[in-house]
Amino acid sequence: MTDAIELIRANAPLLGVGLPLFGAALMLAAPGARSAWALASLTMLATATVAVDLAMRLASGAPFLSVGAGLRPDGVGVWAFTVQTCLATLVAIGAGAMLREFHQRAAPFAFALFLVMVAAWNAAALSASFIGFAAAVETAWLAGVGVAALHGDRDRGALSGALRMLTAGGVAGALLLVGAALTVRGAGADLTALTEQQPPAPGAAALGMGMMIAALALKAGVAPLHAWTGPAFGRVGGFGALALGAIGVVAALFALLRVSAYAMAAPAIAVSVSHVLLTLGVISVVIPSMQAVGAVNVRRLAAYAAAAQAGCVLVSAALGSPAGFAAALVQITALGIAAMALFGGAASLGQAHGLDALDGLARRAPLSALAVTAGALSVMGAPLTLGFLGRWRLIEAGVGGGWWWAAGAVIVVSLAAVFYAGRLIERVYFRRAGAAAVEPNLWRLTLGPALVAATLAIGVGLEPSLLLRAADAAAALATGPAP
Amino acid sequence: MTPVLALLLTLALPAASAVLTAILRRPPGLRDVIHIGFACALATACAYLLQVSLHQETPARLVLARPLPNVELAFVLEPLGALMGAVLGGLGVLHAIHTVGFVRATQELAPARTMSFLSFGAAATLAVMYSANLFTFFVAYQALTLATFPLVALGGGDEGRRAARTYLAVLLAASVGLFLPAMVWTYALTGVIDFRIGGALAGRVDEITANVLLALFTLGVAMAAIPPVHGWLSASNRASFPSLTAIQSLAVIPAGGVGVLKITAYVFGAAMHDARWAALGLLVVVGVSMCGAALIALSRQDIRERLAYSAMAQSLAAAMGALLALPAGAFAAALQLVSLTCAGATLVMAAGTVFATTGRTNVADYSGLGRAMPWTFAAFAIGAASMIGMPPFSGAWAKLWLITAAADAGLHWAAVMAGVTAVLTFAHLAPLAASALAGPAPTDPFKRPDGASVFLVAPAILSALATLWLLVLADPLATFLAPLWAEPP
Repeated sequence: MTDAIELIRANAPLLGVGLPLFGAALMLAAPGARSAWALASLTMLATATVAVDLAMRLASGAPFLSVGAGLRPDGVGVWAFTVQTCLATLVAIGAGAMLREFHQRAAPFAFALFLVMVAAWNAAALSASFIGFAAAVETAWLAGVGVAALHGDRDRGALSGALRMLTAGGVAGALLLVGAALTVRGAGADLTALTEQQPPAPGAAALGMGMMIAALALKAGVAPLHAWTGPAFGRVGGFGALALGAIGVVAALFALLRVSAYAMAAPAIAVSVSHVLLTLGVISVVIPSMQAVGAVNVRRLAAYAAAAQAGCVLVSAALGSPAGFAAALVQITALGIAAMALFGGAASLGQAHGLDALDGLARRAPLSALAVTAGALSVMGAPLTLGFLGRWRLIEAGVGGGWWWAAGAVIVVSLAAVFYAGRLIERVYFRRAGAAAVEPNLWRLTLGPALVAATLAIGVGLEPSLLLRAADAAAALATGPAP
Repeated sequence: MTPVLALLLTLALPAASAVLTAILRRPPGLRDVIHIGFACALATACAYLLQVSLHQETPARLVLARPLPNVELAFVLEPLGALMGAVLGGLGVLHAIHTVGFVRATQELAPARTMSFLSFGAAATLAVMYSANLFTFFVAYQALTLATFPLVALGGGDEGRRAARTYLAVLLAASVGLFLPAMVWTYALTGVIDFRIGGALAGRVDEITANVLLALFTLGVAMAAIPPVHGWLSASNRASFPSLTAIQSLAVIPAGGVGVLKITAYVFGAAMHDARWAALGLLVVVGVSMCGAALIALSRQDIRERLAYSAMAQSLAAAMGALLALPAGAFAAALQLVSLTCAGATLVMAAGTVFATTGRTNVADYSGLGRAMPWTFAAFAIGAASMIGMPPFSGAWAKLWLITAAADAGLHWAAVMAGVTAVLTFAHLAPLAASALAGPAPTDPFKRPDGASVFLVAPAILSALATLWLLVLADPLATFLAPLWAEPP
């Protein structure tokens, strides 16, 4: 038994990819929607157990293992693997109440695609080579497109969103592959060896890395490359919004951060990469914040809010310091949890997406309202929430690096968030309920994950010492252990 | 009971009251008993804390959380907070009784919600008063904004919601856009953000930084109603009278005043000398706005608007005292806050009583009402006299110290402005009280034949009597509040 556990532990990264893929394969045998959901939930629970165990062992000082199969864990990768797997588990469990969004025979496919997406993002988080990384990212993206497209049964608009994702993803895919090739050519080394040698053509390496960052920024919905987010988030159902918003965007940001960590550790290209990150970050702070203020659709609003938060993540990464990467890790985690609470809470609105659907939600569905409120407060960066913690860490890192204006960027995001998140809260608590009704047959189960996320958004904000220590440790090992 | 437990109770009791009032909204009697009972318990805890702080050597400290390295969500029993907590706790009982009388007399649509948010507001206000550092102040300030925002919206329909949005936007935008960066900057400079006797920034900042920080902090505390961040006050003046009492006298404006005073005394302290240019600029803004607010009040015919601008003028007087950066100025500011709390609550509760029993809010309709409601208008007259600064009421001592401090600082124009404001306050309150008491009685003043209930009248009278207490307590208070202007240890 002990040997088996040790074997599992030794191959934890491999299992992080393999278990969801195995679960996806089993979906072909699932007789119906509910069995598919149960299978997906069990698969994700098993994967999350492996991920949390790996993270805890590394946090307690266990050595990093190179497990072969093109995987090599590092600080950012393990953090990403753990957070996105745990979030995906919550999404899978909560999806039980959203089975009606799919045709009976389409549900197993939706869950299979979801599991493939998770497996691929995990592979991107742990990949040792550029080619493996690019292949994983593209697989994850295509799986996400599939999840969005499967909502077309209920709302044809979802197909339009999926098409936009496909188009944008095609451009990003080309950028990613060409960028990866250029980087390898220019640096003369693969992803995890970038820091170890002097690149023969630093210009080409920097250009390639810039293209990769742009591609990943597009997939993460970073402005101005976020044209796909509004239509996709606005029309897919609750499950799609959770899969794309709480997992897809978050995992893409983690992937971007991981690549940036290796690039920033390579002195020959660090400055150029920092400039790219900074430019994208500042644009993404400003434009989506304004869009969110004017948004009239809950999910679009959440997508724009996420893009604004992503801007802060990029600014943190541009700092290039361990403090900056730690701040970025905390912010992405905060974003994932807030998205989970917001989208999960809004799932009770069913097909109604307009902001007016939130009117009087506190009276119609108090638990959903609680989840939406916690998510909105965290997005707003209200004190004692995880969102505030992330912003504070960015300000600390920015001030520590002499980037005072980074504090200004945070203030811009927070000020805009006061308006749009405040509007959400006002509608939830101080408006009379309109015609939009709460989904009558909503399983209470769906609220479990959203409430867990809401609790985390507040609870970790109150007692964040463990999270902060872990983020610091992960950032210190952003490019893996010293050779 | 230990002081730490009492500190915890001052936060927990109003929060519990808010929850219970919302849950046990029926029968109304139970709801009212909960609201008043918890207010009494809160007042007892606050009084105990004041008594403890008179004799304590080491301030009691309550740490609820440590959300960031070196940053605690903490509350401490320091003299200014203890004094204001006790005053607010005591007046809170009267306000609770008046609220019960008001909602019963006016058949208000959502009385439980009003009471609930008033209680949440009380909890947040006391958190501001007892805050031990800038972070805790910021958290409590945000909580107070969110707790009082529904009070502006409740029952006001679309117009109320618009007003509430303005209220929320101004207060939150100022705190996030100005106060937060200043707090972060202070943290970056000093590594800590505790309120410290003598000033956390003393000796640690250059002149430019000190000036910028003072401007950011002072304007970031928009609850002090210093222009241009005062739009929330005019937006809120259509709220119901119990809400107005909280906003203008017992929660929001006092929180703003205490915030400015704590920042000048405990964050800047001796560093106010380095920030003298910003202080001077702010004093000019405050002085001109103080006169302007009193003048605008004179032009308003709706009693709620008139009292709002009157309260703004008084709040600015407190800010002026704090910005003078002299012991006499800090003492004047503290007295002014106590005086504003007592007199402002008296005036708004009296106006609320008039509205509840006669339906009148236009000052032109007040003529002669004092003959039908002698007790209410006696209270109104005493409150007005205190706001004006007439001896022996509490406002007189505050104005006297303020003018003395301004003259000591060599800012004679500021002393003149304080005097002009007193005259303008006289002009917008005294004739109103006089015509109400001396004019011919209206033939049919009341909506109902039995007039005002004791729940409506008694709180206003008792609150008016409270304006007399500074007459005998000014000297002991000066000793008690000495840490406000003490040198760094």
